[in-house]
This record gives sequence, structure tokens and C-alpha cells, in this order.
Amino acid sequence: MGQPSESDAGMYWSRYEESKSMKVVVERQNGVLSARVSGRVDSTNARDFEEAIRTAIEDDDRAVVMDFENLAYISSAGLRAVLMTAKNQWRRDAKFALCSLQDLVREVFEVSGFDKIITIHPGMDEARSALES
Amino acid sequence: MLTFTEEILLLLLDDEDGSFVPISKANLSCAIAGAVLMDLAFAYRIDTDPDELVVNDATPTGNPMLDGTLAKIAAQRQPTNTRTWIRVLSVEDAPGIREQALESLVARGILEQREARVMWAFRARRYPTIDGNVEQEVKLRIGQVLHSDDIPDPRDVALIGLVDACDLLGDIFPDRNIDQLRPRVDQLRKMDLIGRELAGAIADIEHTVTMALSGAPY
Repeated sequence: MGQPSESDAGMYWSRYEESKSMKVVVERQNGVLSARVSGRVDSTNARDFEEAIRTAIEDDDRAVVMDFENLAYISSAGLRAVLMTAKNQWRRDAKFALCSLQDLVREVFEVSGFDKIITIHPGMDEARSALES
Repeated sequence: MLTFTEEILLLLLDDEDGSFVPISKANLSCAIAGAVLMDLAFAYRIDTDPDELVVNDATPTGNPMLDGTLAKIAAQRQPTNTRTWIRVLSVEDAPGIREQALESLVARGILEQREARVMWAFRARRYPTIDGNVEQEVKLRIGQVLHSDDIPDPRDVALIGLVDACDLLGDIFPDRNIDQLRPRVDQLRKMDLIGRELAGAIADIEHTVTMALSGAPY
């Protein structure tokens, strides 16, 4: 096994380019902050993802829900970012949930047991209903 | 902040005489391999999912203990899963990484290095603890996560995977019934995708050794 070659560097770059497609759009309604996440969350953008959510949360937000309907992929680094966000909400006594997971993403949450720690709702309506109550 | 490799080695050393607690070679080497992978993952150099371990950033971390492994993984062109990397690193790299981590702990003033005689004849290196505060802090973190239903910190989740792979819970909590902690340990261990592959990698190595000793084909 030798040092990375030029083609390896190209591989990293194309993966990086692919990963940059992560996007977070937030909106606020009745004290619930919803964050629609699209693209991929992995080690190339997990810090940006976590930071985007953290800076969007305001003191008055009683609950945070991440909408993963358009999230195609999440890696371990992404899971850790979700876990840190959940932990930060728990620390400030706010509710936290996920909703609308695609099958592939849901499978990752189930395999890792995250679904036993973090509440997952089928859709945004169910999430809002539960979090606003 | 200590690396996972340094933290697990601290927990594996007897504080008084500085020898390693009894542990199988497969468990120790796989735990060290897993710890290095966790360090690289938390440094955002590698990433994992249930199928694959990939390098997303081959930039050296500046820590020689990690960078050799990072370069090795980056040079591998075939997609390889986490369990395979734990096996490979445990066999090829774990002894060297262990020595580097122990040297680092000595340099930080946490351990001291002594030469000792075993059975009045053989020389052996021992690493008694000088500064026990660091290890106590690590044990406290583990205890707080295991004895509650709180949402855990990702670093504590990873460390518990290593501790369980080394079968250290009984040493850390001698007064507790470990069976009562088992459901929480199992829950947390699943949550780190490197930690959850450790048991499989250890079983692979033990199977290979057993087959080799019996003369049967693998």
C-alpha cells in the first residue's frame, strides 16, 4: 500500500463535490423550528450541517424537528451531528424529533439504534402535532 | 484532549504496578485498531456507513499515531468495510500504535515508564499512573452515561464500545452488577458504527487462530 495517487485525489475531490450538495432550509411556526435537510450529510459537511442548525435555533424555540424527506444519505459523521443536536436540545429542555426519513436513511438509523434514542415521525404533520402539544 | 487510543490504554493499565489487565491479544489489538479509526473519524478524515469505510480527507492530522494509519487507508483503492480495516490494522499496526500512545501518555506526565523484572529473569516495561485525574475523569464520563437514560455524547458512545470490546466494565465498576448495565451498554455500542464492528472483528481473528491451531482450513 503506497501513498495516495493523483487519481485518489480526484476521487476525494469528486466525493467532496458530491457531498457539498447538502442544504438546510429552516422555518419557524408556533415555537417549533423545522429544518428541511436535503442532499447528503457526511464527514465533508457534518460540521456545517450541525452549525447551520445550531445558529438557526433561537432561545424561544421550544422544539426542533429535522425533515429528512430529501436527505438521500447520512454517514456516521452525520449521525453524530444529529446526536449532538439532540443532546443540545435535551440540555436546554427543548424537544427534538426527526421526520420523513427515506428508506436508506431510516435503515441507517435503525441499524445504529438511533431510532431508540431519537423520536422519528412518519411526516411533518405528525411531528408538528406531537411537538406542539 | 486525549485520543481514544490513549483513553482505552489508560483504562487497560493497572494504576499501581502499571501492567496491563488480563486481556486477550485479539481483544487488545482490535480495540487499538478501532480506537485509531474512531480518532480519525472524529477528526473528520474518515467516514463510515454500514457498508463501507472511506477517506474523505487525506490531510494529515499532525498526530503521527494517526497519520500512518490514515495514509495506509487512503492508499487502499478497493472499497473496504470497517470490520476488515479493524482486522488488518489489529494485525499489522496495533503493536506500534500502542507503543506510540504509551509514549504520548508518558510525555504528557500521566504515566511513567519503568523497567521491571518478571519471574526474576525477564525484563518487562511497566507504566504506573502518575496523574490519576485523567483516568478518573474518563471513568466518571462512562459511569454518567451508563447509569442514566440521557442522550449520550458521541465521544462517550464510542469509548463505551471500546471498553466493552475489552471487557473492562467489571474492572471499572467492581461494585456494580454488570448484567444490569448490559441493556444500556448494548444500546450505546450499536450507536457507533466502528464500535459495533469490533465484536465481529475479534470473532474473525479468534476463529482464524482456532482454525490455524487445529490445522483445519479457514
